[in-house]
Amino acid sequence: MSSSSSSLSISGLLRRPEAGAFLGLLGVLIFFVIFGSMEFLKPSGAASWLNVAASLGIIALPIGLLMIAGELDISIGAMIPAGSMTVAILSGHYGLPIWVGILGALSFGVIIGLINGYLVIRTAVPSLIVTLGTLFAVQGIVLGLSVIITGTTSVALTAAPWAKFIFGQFVGGTFQVIIFWWLAITAVYIFVVHFTRYGNWIFAMGGDKISARNAGIPTEKLTITLFVLSSTSAAFVGMCQAILFNSAQVSAGMTFIFNSIISVVVGGVLLTGGFGSIVGIFFGTLTFAVVNQGIYFTTFDRNWSSLIIGIMLLLAVLMNNTFRRMALSYAPKKK
Amino acid sequence: MSNLIQGLSRLALSLTLAFSASSVLAANIAVVGGKTDDAFWNKIKKGIDDARLIVEANGGKVNYLQLQSYDNLGPDAAQLVRTAMSQKVQGIVVPNWVPEAEDEAIKAAVAAGIKVIMINAGTIEKANELGAINYVGSDEYLAGKAGGEYFAAKGQKNVLCVNTVPGAANLEARCKGVIEGITGKGGKGKQLPLPATSFGDPTAVAEAIKATLVGDKTIDGLITISAGDADSAAIGIGQANASETVKLGTFDFNEANLDRIKNGKQLFAIDQQPYLQSLLGVLMLNAYIDFGNKLPTAPVLTGPGIVDASNIDATLAGVKKGAR
Repeated sequence: MSSSSSSLSISGLLRRPEAGAFLGLLGVLIFFVIFGSMEFLKPSGAASWLNVAASLGIIALPIGLLMIAGELDISIGAMIPAGSMTVAILSGHYGLPIWVGILGALSFGVIIGLINGYLVIRTAVPSLIVTLGTLFAVQGIVLGLSVIITGTTSVALTAAPWAKFIFGQFVGGTFQVIIFWWLAITAVYIFVVHFTRYGNWIFAMGGDKISARNAGIPTEKLTITLFVLSSTSAAFVGMCQAILFNSAQVSAGMTFIFNSIISVVVGGVLLTGGFGSIVGIFFGTLTFAVVNQGIYFTTFDRNWSSLIIGIMLLLAVLMNNTFRRMALSYAPKKK
Repeated sequence: MSNLIQGLSRLALSLTLAFSASSVLAANIAVVGGKTDDAFWNKIKKGIDDARLIVEANGGKVNYLQLQSYDNLGPDAAQLVRTAMSQKVQGIVVPNWVPEAEDEAIKAAVAAGIKVIMINAGTIEKANELGAINYVGSDEYLAGKAGGEYFAAKGQKNVLCVNTVPGAANLEARCKGVIEGITGKGGKGKQLPLPATSFGDPTAVAEAIKATLVGDKTIDGLITISAGDADSAAIGIGQANASETVKLGTFDFNEANLDRIKNGKQLFAIDQQPYLQSLLGVLMLNAYIDFGNKLPTAPVLTGPGIVDASNIDATLAGVKKGAR
């Protein structure tokens, strides 16, 4: 389903999983150009949704893969502040070199990912519940340790220039460097998911896990890997935030849980698993960010923001569903 | 024989009187409050601990009854008030977070002859209604108004209040105060309510602020409703190339905020001074129970305390000692 389509015709392109997501993105862009202004597409305007999309996108990609494989990880909501507090406490509070903080944040992500993965495959408890548990547990650990160690819930961080350059600078004065991380990471995901056997394994798992295992796919290893990817990505985003904003707080990140799932679904991934694509998730994330930030370029009263966001996201998903139905029910004409 | 019994009973009576008199002389005070695992309640606890020295010097004692969680705030706080009553205390210091749930318990305590002071959450009207002696705390609206007037005093004309949790009564009161503070001095002010999808995402908050500032170049003052949002706002202002024109203020503060005030990159922060709330609450109650002292000032407002370049060094010293 994910491999290249047989023909390059328009109808062939429209049947690709990402087609609906792309058209959704196009739709919201046109909406905001009409009701907002062209400012929205100029570099500084584009930066305002690209910056938001990038940090969300880095998390949405592994979340999307988990959802394709039939799993879910909501502990990312706690892993973002965990990542930012870890780097801020190690390098800000204790004054250790920044690479120690970075390594610490990412290791924390790997550890929680391993715990999530093992619990899911060993206990057979739905991953929603397992990661709900780790969500609260990690929140508790981060809050408790922060107060014991620093006495506060918010820690300042002044990162070394090289770390600021790689993780927290504004390229060209407006584009967060994390956008380039996002693009690079997306490229790697596209290659691995759509051009190696691992991608097909993930789709097979989401379609039917037992058959996939019987077919010799190492479903358990793959599940653990995906959970490690998602929580480490979240820790990475948190770490970049702390370096960029020079500060970390224990109470951030919960919004990423819903936002990443919405982006993934807008991007054409089925909530039940087995269907979706990396490019689709990429477009879905962009759509979400455009809808969120586009409001500020319009003259609508800001009290209506949430209403507009809700309706536009719903329309984007409906569009996607229509295209998916067309794609799934398509039968080539007999020659 | 009857004389003896009479004498004994007289002795017993005077003993009882003496005993109860001595316990009245030394105040036994209970303080109801939040869990001390967050920064705010740690400052409250320091206020209690410092006040305890004086209470104990006068033979009394102070007991801090803290909530185990915030899941069931009102009823749990009411339960702690009743716990304090069962411990036969003479005074209770309590925040009135959820009047619907707590009023009844506070009334019962007052009816049982216990002296009550409300701190942190409440109003003087509520204190009077329930029979509490005073209210020691801040008033979100007045704090906002002071912020708006501070902007005006610094020459800012158009202030934006960024509210990341629109609809929360205390935060709406903060923004309302700011807007009325600046308009009262001839300036302009409005609120920027952000959708729930951007709460907790610093980039989304920063970009919303950037876009708003780019869209309206007349904005020259910006205030956020929390310390973390101020960190996002600092980036948003920088991204809008407005660092020269747009001055930043915030409610509450964190380390990064104070660093910016110290370096001249942030104008001010509004503090409700929680240390003073518990310190004054306990001391005033102790003085009232022990000596009948009563402040005519009511309510006793601990906020807004404005932290700016003029007092940043003292504030930083206070942070180190856990009082700010």
